[in-house]
Amino acid sequence: MDLKLGHYNKDGIEVVDVEGEIDVYTAPRLRELLIDLVNKNNYQLVVNMEKVEFLDSTGLGVLVGGLKRVRAHDGSLDLVCTQERILKIFRITGLTKVFGIYATVDEAIAAKRAEK
Amino acid sequence: MTEDTAAAAVHGSAQGSAHTGREMRDRVQVSMPAESAYLSVLRTATAGLAARLDFTLDEIEDLRIAVDEACAMLLAQAIPGTSLECAFDLGTDEMTITVSVVAARPRLPARDTFAWTVLSALAGTVDSRVGPGDRVAIVLRKRREIPEATRSG
Repeated sequence: MDLKLGHYNKDGIEVVDVEGEIDVYTAPRLRELLIDLVNKNNYQLVVNMEKVEFLDSTGLGVLVGGLKRVRAHDGSLDLVCTQERILKIFRITGLTKVFGIYATVDEAIAAKRAEK
Repeated sequence: MTEDTAAAAVHGSAQGSAHTGREMRDRVQVSMPAESAYLSVLRTATAGLAARLDFTLDEIEDLRIAVDEACAMLLAQAIPGTSLECAFDLGTDEMTITVSVVAARPRLPARDTFAWTVLSALAGTVDSRVGPGDRVAIVLRKRREIPEATRSG
């Protein structure tokens, strides 16, 4: 399966839906989308990874790159993920301490609003 | 599978002949263009072979990711237009996977990266080497978890 990307705005927060496999072949498309969103002044991002079937370190690098970009504008990039096999990669690399990781998009958005 | 992608399986190599007849020692070799677009094919092959050895679902997923990480690291230095070679040596309780490419300036993969961290955490043991012909290889070896019930005897 390839990578499908979509995004929408909810309560002033840009939600990115990711579906499929994120690897060295497909990750550049996610990178381009995150850069494009930041260039259009979206600094509050939630990346919904509930339909991600595969994630490797290239994908992690893209997410970290996105996080750095939004933080440069005092923004944040949080993740929605409950799949153990995906969370495992974040744990191995210590990135569970870097990203906010939530069970649902609504939870992620509520957490962002509470921070404001 | 395309014309550029060739797969060959060689059964019953000499390695297993010294052991009992029941011991499994098959080698499966996959050769594919050294391009990232083919990694998903190799992940699928890895999962299929690991399932054949009765690896658990978690172990299969670990191997899929480990092979992907190893190949992604090697593809970064592969000469365009060449092949990525992958050999699966199937033991009774373990699988050894050797992936290799030919590089213009062969070097061992850096170990201070996310990729190596993930690879070394998920594969049982990992090694890398630069061999003859400017070929860089990463070797993964993962043992199957033996269920408690079948461990005795």
